[in-house]
Amino acid sequence: MSDSAAASVPLTINGTAVEALAGMTLVEAAWRGGVPRVRGVGCLEGVCGSCRVLLRRGRDVTVALACQTFVEPGIEVVFLPAPSAPRHHYEIEEFADGWDVQARFHEIFPEAARCRHCHGCVRSCPKDIDVEAAIVLAAAGRFRDAGAMFFECVMCELCDGACPEQIAPAHVGLFCRRVTAHFHLRPPNLIHRLEELRQGRYDVSGMPQGE
Amino acid sequence: MNKTGISFAAARAAYRPDADLGPLPALTDPDTLLAACHPDHLRGSVVKLAIGANAGDGCQRELAELLQAEAFIDEADLAGTPVTDTDVLVIGGGGAGCAAALAAAERGARVLLATKLRLGDSNTVMAEGGIQAAIEPDDTPQQHISDTLRGGHHAADPALVAALVADGPDAIRWLIRQGMQFETTATGDLHTRKAGGMSAARIVHCRDYTGLEMMRVLREAVIQHRGIEVWEQSPAVELLSNERGQKCVGAVLGSLADGRLRIVRTRSVILATGGLGRLHLNGFPTSNHLGATGDGLVLAYRIGAKLRELDSFQYHPTGLVHPTHLSGKLVTEGVRAAGALLVNGEGRRFIDELLPRDVVSAAILRECQEGRGILSVRTDKTRLGVWLDTPRLERSQPGLLERQFPKLLARTRGAGIDPRVDPLLVHPTLHYQNGGVLIDVNGATTVPGLYAVGELAGGIHGRNRIMGNALLDIIGFGRRAGVAAVAERDRGPKKVTLEHVNRMRRALTLAGMPLTHKSPRLLPAYAGGAWNR
Repeated sequence: MSDSAAASVPLTINGTAVEALAGMTLVEAAWRGGVPRVRGVGCLEGVCGSCRVLLRRGRDVTVALACQTFVEPGIEVVFLPAPSAPRHHYEIEEFADGWDVQARFHEIFPEAARCRHCHGCVRSCPKDIDVEAAIVLAAAGRFRDAGAMFFECVMCELCDGACPEQIAPAHVGLFCRRVTAHFHLRPPNLIHRLEELRQGRYDVSGMPQGE
Repeated sequence: MNKTGISFAAARAAYRPDADLGPLPALTDPDTLLAACHPDHLRGSVVKLAIGANAGDGCQRELAELLQAEAFIDEADLAGTPVTDTDVLVIGGGGAGCAAALAAAERGARVLLATKLRLGDSNTVMAEGGIQAAIEPDDTPQQHISDTLRGGHHAADPALVAALVADGPDAIRWLIRQGMQFETTATGDLHTRKAGGMSAARIVHCRDYTGLEMMRVLREAVIQHRGIEVWEQSPAVELLSNERGQKCVGAVLGSLADGRLRIVRTRSVILATGGLGRLHLNGFPTSNHLGATGDGLVLAYRIGAKLRELDSFQYHPTGLVHPTHLSGKLVTEGVRAAGALLVNGEGRRFIDELLPRDVVSAAILRECQEGRGILSVRTDKTRLGVWLDTPRLERSQPGLLERQFPKLLARTRGAGIDPRVDPLLVHPTLHYQNGGVLIDVNGATTVPGLYAVGELAGGIHGRNRIMGNALLDIIGFGRRAGVAAVAERDRGPKKVTLEHVNRMRRALTLAGMPLTHKSPRLLPAYAGGAWNR
């Protein structure tokens, strides 16, 4: 705790030389160094997925979230632009029922069945999600299990950028989670209370329930 | 503040997860504790507003400086600026903004959603604990109303609280339809937790990632909706009014990408810009997102909207003191709801951990002021805190932290801290704006054509919000405003002006106040500010 004489750490951020202090994150280092045009900083706790960075250590190149990565001597950091708009489109309200969801999935995400197991998505994930295995499950229609593997996904979409088949794994993961809730989550305690409210059991002044 | 206490090393060495914590001292008078120790009552913290719709009302000092300030633009900036027309303009891309945009788009409106940073970058995404809905057999809507009013010291608008509570169960159904998952029990019921100030278990949640789950689902739903266009990196720098400065008819958006201005003309504007933790009121750390700089309050006040409870802010009891890079970040109240205790530097409990947040925060600040805090010395500054006794919780309920609080473990892991072994050093952190823009049950402000929803809006939580009501408020009132904004019958603006800016400038001049301060803030200075990004 008492790091009152924190060591100085030289590094490069967006081409600008920065002298940071040991224990700082890359975001703190960028601010300290006055690096201009650093965008995409958001929650500062690793859940908004915005502060995507490319890291170069010698010949080794990786990606990460800047607010969760600490400074290292000599590391080269480049803040990445925001991901482009998704290429796969669907509106969950338009799905008829859960029986055709596998067919719809492959219409919406035709690339998901073409995974070449290059591990690019796995290596790029800052949350250590086994993205590749989850995509295999999704392609086999195991949406609940696939979605569960994406539980800690923060939608940084670094895996989408890493996929040579353009599968968009982060969006596949979210699709899996969404259809699982949309078609299968039917909690009796919630449904019972909604029914009581519909019958006027409680005098709640305000907006009428339901659409 | 008095900076004496027990050294971190000594307190850590003396810490035992099975130590006897002594009897809990009785709290005889919470109001006296609040008056003595809560930051809202710090000397010089509140000033009187001199101009505007709330002239004469008390307002937090740092906020008053922004409310009584000059705009960044004037009429000359509007000449030649590109104009976009839309039915509904939503400003803000968090949970409230997305709910409003979806509700409006579901009713066929063309919606433009503009957000300062990336869609979904918000306080919503960080919310951990959960969302309130009275669904258990031993719970009723009336209990939810009573708990909310009592928690807010009876300062809330009862009509807004009734609307909030009435929306609860249907808000959960709507979220499930959008594809949001919740924790369930073995029988398939929604799992509920009871937290501070609640008479029944009422918090439904997705482990401690409730906000992330909600935000990623709503964000995807917005992106995928054909009726909604999203502009990112586009902060609102000013609203637009009609020729008489009395109706909101659009906004001027800046750009963090190309620095240009853009005019949006519309029938209704829904402000959903969130809170102001990044103003670091009274020098406190904050749990908030980088963009939480109170922009919506500034814009609403300048166009004439009435605000309320501008002197009341929530300091959440358990903000992390270390690791440094998570300073001010939250440990969810769910951890205390699950049974974690607060322990001072002398190894004693000092407050019932599940009293309302303002009381628990005041008690922690009292311990720190009176020398019973734990002293953490770092490069930049000395900070005080108390233990949140997570190892004791782990001993009594093995495996609970890993099962229910994966986010807590994931965040501290990077810094080599394991809450199952190490007690967490915590201190109150600026968390929530209790008051805000005065609204009716549809989110309508006192200015025609202008709506305010989410943390920006006031009157729902009184002078203290209880856990789980913020996520409910953003969905409930977000959807209400989306519906109401579509129903706006006006044919749209003939002329867009900055008449309200001129009016504010005259008021500033008459009051002898400087025209040199400009607002909104948009980004904190330490993050480079907005204009030199």
